Amino acid sequence: MDGYNFAYLDEQTKRMIRRALLKGVAIPGYQVPFGGREMPMPYGWGTGGVQLTASILGAYDILKVIDQGADDTTNAVSIRHFFQRVAGVETTTATTAADVIQTRHRIPETPLRSGQILVFQVPIPEPLRFIEPSEQETRLMHALEEYGVMHVKLYEDIARYGHIATTYAYPVKVDGRYVMDPSPIPKFDNPKLDGNPALMLFGAGREKRLYAIPPYTRVESLDFEDHPFEVQSWEHTCALCGSDHSYLDEVITDDKGGRMFVCSDTDYCQTRRGEVA
Amino acid sequence: MYVAVKGGEQAIANAHRWLADRRRGDRDRPELEVAQVGDQLRLAVDRVMSEASLYDPELAALAFKQASGDLTEAVFLLRAYRTTLPRLAVSEPLDTASMRIERRISATYKDIPGGQILGPTYDYTHRLLDFLQLAGAEVPAAEIREEVTEAEACPQILELLNDEGLVEQEIDDGSEPADITRDPPDYPMDRAARLQMLARGDEGYLLALGYSTQRGYGRNHPFAGEIRLGQVEVEIHVDEWDETICVGEIALSECQMINQFGGSREAAPQFTRGYGLAFGHNERKTMAMALVDRALRAEELGEPIIGPAQQAEFVLAHADSVDASGFVSHLKLPHYVDFQSELDLLRRLRREHAARQAELDGTRDTASPQQEER
Amino acid sequence: MDKAMTVKTETTRDLVWPGLADPAHDSQRLFRQILGALSEPGTLTTLALPAPPQVAPSDALGAALWGVVLTLCDLETRVWIAADLDSPALREALTFHTGARITDDPASADFALLTHESFDPQTPFAVGSDTYPDRGTTLLVAVERLENDSNGADDADHGWRLSGPGIAESRVLDIGDGAGCRALMTRLAGNRASFPQGLDAIFGCGAQLAAIPRSTRIASVEARADSQETN
Repeated sequence: MDGYNFAYLDEQTKRMIRRALLKGVAIPGYQVPFGGREMPMPYGWGTGGVQLTASILGAYDILKVIDQGADDTTNAVSIRHFFQRVAGVETTTATTAADVIQTRHRIPETPLRSGQILVFQVPIPEPLRFIEPSEQETRLMHALEEYGVMHVKLYEDIARYGHIATTYAYPVKVDGRYVMDPSPIPKFDNPKLDGNPALMLFGAGREKRLYAIPPYTRVESLDFEDHPFEVQSWEHTCALCGSDHSYLDEVITDDKGGRMFVCSDTDYCQTRRGEVA
Repeated sequence: MYVAVKGGEQAIANAHRWLADRRRGDRDRPELEVAQVGDQLRLAVDRVMSEASLYDPELAALAFKQASGDLTEAVFLLRAYRTTLPRLAVSEPLDTASMRIERRISATYKDIPGGQILGPTYDYTHRLLDFLQLAGAEVPAAEIREEVTEAEACPQILELLNDEGLVEQEIDDGSEPADITRDPPDYPMDRAARLQMLARGDEGYLLALGYSTQRGYGRNHPFAGEIRLGQVEVEIHVDEWDETICVGEIALSECQMINQFGGSREAAPQFTRGYGLAFGHNERKTMAMALVDRALRAEELGEPIIGPAQQAEFVLAHADSVDASGFVSHLKLPHYVDFQSELDLLRRLRREHAARQAELDGTRDTASPQQEER
Repeated sequence: MDKAMTVKTETTRDLVWPGLADPAHDSQRLFRQILGALSEPGTLTTLALPAPPQVAPSDALGAALWGVVLTLCDLETRVWIAADLDSPALREALTFHTGARITDDPASADFALLTHESFDPQTPFAVGSDTYPDRGTTLLVAVERLENDSNGADDADHGWRLSGPGIAESRVLDIGDGAGCRALMTRLAGNRASFPQGLDAIFGCGAQLAAIPRSTRIASVEARADSQETN
């Protein structure tokens, strides 16, 4: 696009983000502060993910963008269009064909492969934020590996509801050290973080933090011996492809309580139905 | 048969076309020119420049017009443009003491060297709607005394107090200040970084916080020592020529608050200060900023932290309208995956609750009548 | 005599430190390779870019590490150069191509250029703090060789066995036999004890590149072979 550098960001900003990314990879799960820039889209709408994607994306990469697992949600369309415009890259909806996948709130159902990079959009990177709002305090808690409060919070849920009441953005421990917010993915997706062959990068633009999970890294969801971590399951199957093992969106079909369940991952669902050319 | 919604791209394009149409409004009326906005809505333009932290009246006016008058949106437009600009030079510190004054008042002294100059202010206007403006009446040109525009620089009031040692000195320690536009926030922040964040903080937010200190949530007994508006020269040092040259003039507003004194056994009591600075004519913003600046110095001055305006991380992390409006408005984005997670859990908890309740009711039915009566 | 001959036959072209022909796209391509190397510690990758001039002492640097410098350094970074790599030509090229500031203080360096021979475990490079572990020096080390043992990780008889994030099971990397190589790997192995503080290292040998971040567990293959023999 005229007047703007390849992939929008200037080279200086990309280098700053790239250096931060390398530190993020070297210290898995640690939130690296970076000089996040304003992007031509609002904070909270994926600016962190967009900055990371802009810093890693090359002219020959094939890019996929999803929001809620779907390629056709408005913000996914908008971000995909942004990169088509500023980087001229080829885009795809096929998980298997993508080199870089930018995502909000889901990890694709199709297993990722070595060499792929998954970029997460993160609203609040600090898993301890809702327990301790002060950045100075949470930084210290991470430094001292003082994560007792997190367990207390989860246990209070159990005492009150009989279950851990966190269903998305469910905290994980990375390589046995840092407690990390996996972004607001449903806890259904948490097991996919563990030992994944793809590189996973997380960008929080407004909060100016990025972090990473290298491939094949041990990632455990926090739990208790008497209340082990478990994922959501459905009594239904996908009304479109019949899948009994994917994350399902509930769709209201009429005003008389009619509803159906369909795969949130549109590429996965279409592939199963043989609709993808 | 249910078909997943498609055509997001088309919907977005249509929405943009509709938006542009709405912005243009009635085609029978002439389109608003950017220059008219800059000229006649200059206080909006000044606010946009301040909060976007870019001094460019023309582009700020364009942003305001493009945003259909939505100030927060205009600030965002100009800020996003600012990020793409190369950094060509760093100016020398601005010298507001040598400001070409348009307005300058002090609430602490009746008469001051250089005089009190009201300038173009709304202060003493009676807030009566001017129906003549509806009728398009001509506005007579104001006569501006030459002494005002050409006046010698007026000394800063706080410097007069400085001579007596009554007010704390601001000393430049020569250290390189942080740059909040490039470095991620690192709490606790020093005053230079805090002032930068306040300078581009949302005016309404600072106004509310400043007001809260006046009502007792971290009171700091302020006096408006001096408020001045006017033009200040921007200079850069050219290394090749070893010379400092003026590259232009910008309009600035500055507020110096004089606040309750501090002091200790070692240090003699002195007034303290709060400082506010903004692009253009932005008096209210600078006053609010000065109050909040002073409030954020509570820790440094050994005062108890009792008001929200004194909590540095809280105040600073939420001051930026681009941050705040982005994150609030992101709630409009789809969240069906997370919501589905919550639905699933809630239904499960309600099922379990109902089962427990049924069990409880069952036990009650078989209990003795006496217990039932009780 | 030989040396004088070489100098005579050198053309100016050989003495030019190459920059990136297409900065935006070349640095992106090289960065992805560097990112891949740190994401999967011990894997080898070859950086395609023109080699820097082969003039001692800076000739040990090699194309790969020069590529890292061009990709990651700019006026916001500080670079420390070990004496055995340092030359006016390298300094000039570094400043010209990247604008990076050269520092004599290893503790303030974002990047340190050194060789396995000049590695000294006593050099006080920055290892970050527990609150900001990212604020540390990344070592860019020219090493003797870079090899993954072709016998497979389990049967390797020399080198270092790596495991941890980025490595499915384990991977063997050999950077050379010199005392400096051993000292370097021993120092990096010590990262575990101080984690999250630590040193991240990128190795170069000619155009070849590999990396070991501080998250990697490192064990000497020989030590394991020895212990197996004694068992």
